[in-house]
Amino acid sequence: MKKTFALLAALTLATSLFAVEIGKPAPDFTGTDINGKTVKLSDYKGKIVVIESYNSDCPFCHNQYNSGAAQELQKDLAGKGVVWLLVNSVNVKNSSHRTTAQAQQEWTDLKINATAWIDDTAGTIGYLYDMRTTPHVFVIAADGNLAYNGAMDNRPEPFGDPRTAKNYVRAAVDELLAGKPVTITQTKPYGCSVHY
Amino acid sequence: MGEHLTLLVRKLLTLTALVFCLATAVAQAANTQVQLLLSAGTAKAGDTVLAGVRLTMAPGWHTYWKNPGAAGKATEIKWQLPPGVTAGDIQWPLPKKLPPLEVTTYAYEEEVVLLVPLKLDSSLSPGPLNLAAKVSWLECKDSCIPAAGDAQASLDIGPETKASSDAITLEAWQAKVPVTAKTFNAQALWQKPAGGDDRPLLFELDWPAPGDTPTHTTADFFPAASDSFEIEADVTNVLNSANEIEFTKPVKKFSGDWPKEVSGVLVLDDKAYELEMPVTDMSAVVPGGTIAATPPPPPVSLWQMLLYAFIGGLILNIMPCVLPVIALKILGFVSEAKNNAAHVRKLGLIYTAGVLLSFLALAALVISVKLAGHKAGWGMQFGSPIFLVCLTTLVTLVALNLFGVFEVTLGGGTLDKAGDLASRPGAAGAFFNGILATILATPCTAPFLGVALGFAFTQPSSILVLMFLAVGTGLAAPYLLLSLNPAWLKFLPKPGVWMEKFKIAMGFPMLATVVWLLSIASSSYGKNVVWLGVFLVFVATAMWVFGEFAQRGRKNKGIAALVALGIFICGYVFALENQLHWRKPEVSGEAGIENTATSNGLWAAWSPEAVTAARVSGKPVIVDFTADWCLTCRVNKQTSIDIDSVSNKLKAIGAVAFNGDYTHFPDSITAELNRYNRAGVPLVLVYPADTNAPPIVLPEVLTPGIVMEALNKVTK
Repeated sequence: MKKTFALLAALTLATSLFAVEIGKPAPDFTGTDINGKTVKLSDYKGKIVVIESYNSDCPFCHNQYNSGAAQELQKDLAGKGVVWLLVNSVNVKNSSHRTTAQAQQEWTDLKINATAWIDDTAGTIGYLYDMRTTPHVFVIAADGNLAYNGAMDNRPEPFGDPRTAKNYVRAAVDELLAGKPVTITQTKPYGCSVHY
Repeated sequence: MGEHLTLLVRKLLTLTALVFCLATAVAQAANTQVQLLLSAGTAKAGDTVLAGVRLTMAPGWHTYWKNPGAAGKATEIKWQLPPGVTAGDIQWPLPKKLPPLEVTTYAYEEEVVLLVPLKLDSSLSPGPLNLAAKVSWLECKDSCIPAAGDAQASLDIGPETKASSDAITLEAWQAKVPVTAKTFNAQALWQKPAGGDDRPLLFELDWPAPGDTPTHTTADFFPAASDSFEIEADVTNVLNSANEIEFTKPVKKFSGDWPKEVSGVLVLDDKAYELEMPVTDMSAVVPGGTIAATPPPPPVSLWQMLLYAFIGGLILNIMPCVLPVIALKILGFVSEAKNNAAHVRKLGLIYTAGVLLSFLALAALVISVKLAGHKAGWGMQFGSPIFLVCLTTLVTLVALNLFGVFEVTLGGGTLDKAGDLASRPGAAGAFFNGILATILATPCTAPFLGVALGFAFTQPSSILVLMFLAVGTGLAAPYLLLSLNPAWLKFLPKPGVWMEKFKIAMGFPMLATVVWLLSIASSSYGKNVVWLGVFLVFVATAMWVFGEFAQRGRKNKGIAALVALGIFICGYVFALENQLHWRKPEVSGEAGIENTATSNGLWAAWSPEAVTAARVSGKPVIVDFTADWCLTCRVNKQTSIDIDSVSNKLKAIGAVAFNGDYTHFPDSITAELNRYNRAGVPLVLVYPADTNAPPIVLPEVLTPGIVMEALNKVTK
C-alpha cells in the first residue's frame, strides 16, 4: 500500500512538476548506491552526467555489458570527466532484483566502469525521469539541463556487437564537450520494461 | 603489431561471447515452442498455401506483436525456402495489451499463430518440398529472454491442393487478423498545438449508415510501430454513440516532425480493423505565439466550442468595429438609469433579443449560402457592395440622429421635448441597437472567436445555429447582466442637460465608422466611392429638412416631408444610380491586391501555386490574409507586420512574403482559411523552409514579438 502510494506520488510528480524536457533543468534526485553512499544529482553540477536505466537480466542491457561495449564507453567518458549513474528500478519481488551483495558481485564480475549504481527499487528516480525501458539513457549537460533522452544506440538487438551501432550517448557527450549543440536529442528507447 | 593482436583477440573474445550467448538463449527457449503449420499437405503448383508459425508459450510468458509497444521486440521469421516458393508478409493476429500502463506492450500469451502466405510458382515440378523457417523472438515473464527456434514442414506438389488437418486451426487464427474495413470513416485530430513532445490525439470514427455500427463496449487503437513517435496506450474521453466513436490517446514524439498520418489497428471489443488515417490539426487555429500559454484543454467537445463562441462574443465588445455601438449603449443606460428596474430589465432583454435574432438571420444566410453550394465565411456580407452602401447610409443616419438632426419615432407620435427621449428610450431603440451591434461586429474576429467560428462553419446547420447564438449571447452578455442588476449602474451620473451634449459627442465615433465603411466600399467602387459621399450629403440634407420642418415644424409639415423625400430621391438617382452605378460596380472583381501590397516591394500577391513554388525553392514563406473591411488585419499590419524589424528579418532570412486579399471573398482563400479551421481573416501563416513541416498559425491579434518569434522558429 505504502509502495503504491509512493509510486502514485512519484508518477504524479513525474508527469506534472518535473516532466523531463530537453533543454530544461534535469530534475534533481537523491539516492543510495550499492555501497551505501548517498548520491545527489546536483552534486555533479558542472559535469556532464549520463543516467542509465539498468537491469542486466534484460537481454538488451545484457548485450551492452556482455560485449564490453558499455564498460568501454564508460571508461572512455570517465576519462573526459563524465559521470555515469546506473539506476536499477527493478522491484524487490521481481526475479531480476539484486540484493546489495548480488549487485556488488555483478559490479565486479562485469567490470562496470560507471560512477555509481543507484538502488531504486521504489522506482522513485525511474518514474521521475519517466524511464520506460532498460536500457533508457539520459545525458545531462554541465549546466544541469537535459541534453539527450532515449535509446543507447540505433541497434535495438539483444545480440551482436553494439560497437557497430551509432551510440547516441557518445555522440551527445562529444558534441557537448566540443561546445556544439546536440544533434540528436531524443530517440525512442528500446529494450525490456523496467519492472517497477 | 601488438595493437593488431589485441584487436584480434578482442574480436575473437566477442565472437566467443556471442556464440555462447546464442547457445544459452536457444537452450533457454524451453519457455516457448515453435512449430510450422501448413494449410495443405498437397498443393498444386501456382496455388498459394497458408503457413502458420505457431508459438506456444509456457504460462506467464509472452511474445510480441509487430509493434511491441514501449518495450520488447517483434518476432522475426527468416524463411529457408526452395526456389519457386515465395513468402508473403506476416499476418499478425490481434495481440493483447499488457500492463503496466506506462510501459504497455502488445503481446501474445499462451499461443499465437503468425500467418504467412506462401506462393507456389506454377513451374514447380511434382514432388516433396522442405519448407523451413528460422524464428527468433523475445519471450518475457518478469524477465526477458531472446530465443530462437527452427521450424519445418514438408509440402507435396501434386495435381490438386488438399486441405490439411491444420487448415481449420489456421482459419481460426486468420479470423483474428485485423481486416481492412471500409464501412466507416476514420480521422485523427491533434488537440493541442505542436509544442513540447506530448500531444493528445483524438480519433474520430463514424458510420455513414447507422445500421452498420458494430455492437461494442470498448474502443482502442493499437498503432503500427514507429521510431519517431509513439501513440501511447492510455485511452480517454471515449464517446460511443449509435454511429460515432471518439476517443483520445496521448502521443509522445521522439524525433522529427509530428506525424501527418497514423496507421494501426482499431479494436472494438475483440473485432479489429486495419486503418490508415490522416492527421489534421484541430489546434492549428489556437494561437501559436505567446498567447499559446492558454491552450484549450484536450477534448474538443461541443460544450467547449460553445464556451469559446461565448467568450469570443464577449471580447467582440471591445474590438474596434463594435466600439461605436458601445457609445450608444452607454447613452441608453444613462437614460434608463432613473427608470424602474423592471423597465431596465425589459430593455436589456429586448437588446439581447435584437442581437440573437440578428445572429439567427446571419446563421440562416450562412446556411442558405452553404446549401446553394457556395463557400460561406464570417462577415461575407461585407464583400457585397450593395450591403455596404445600405450600411453606410444606415450608420450615417444613426450619426445624424445622435446629432439631433432628426428624431426616431418608431413608437408612433412625435416627440416634442428632448426630455421625452430620456424617459422613453423605447423598445424599438434597444432592439435596433442589438441589430446594429451584430452587423458591425461581423467583420471582426476576436481571440477565441476564430477557433469557435472555424469549428461552426464545418458543422451541420443545427450546431451552426447553436454556435451563432452562443456568440450573440456573449456579445449581449455585459449589457444583459447590467440591466438585470440595475444597482450596478449607480456609478452613472443622473440624466440631465449633459446627456444631450454627450449624445452629440457620441455621433462622432459613428462618423468614424462611416469613413471606415467608405474605405471598404472603395475596394468595390474605386474612385467612384466619392459619389457615395455625395449621396450621403443628400441624405443628410434630406434628414435635416425632415427633422427641422416636418418633425419640429409648426406649419406645412406634409410639404416639408415631401421636400425631404424629394431631396433623398434626387440624391439617389443622381449619385447612386447615374454616377456610382451602385448595383453594378465597375471596379470590382479580384482587384485590390495592389493596395494591400506594401511599398517596400517585399509582398507579392498570394496564390497556392506561388506558395508552393517558393517553398520548393527552399525558402521560408509568410502569408498574410487580410481584407479591406478587416480592422484587426489593418491594425496587425501596421503594428506588427509592416514594421522595420520584421521587414529586415524577412530580408535577412530570404523569406518570401505573400498577401492574400479576402475583401471580395475569392473561393481559393476561403478554401485556404477552412484548411486552417478558420472562417475569416485575419490569418497569418509562417511556413518553415522544410517543405514537410506544417506552417505556424499566428494568433488573431499580433504583436511584433509574436511575428519575430515565429520567424525565428522557422529559421532554426
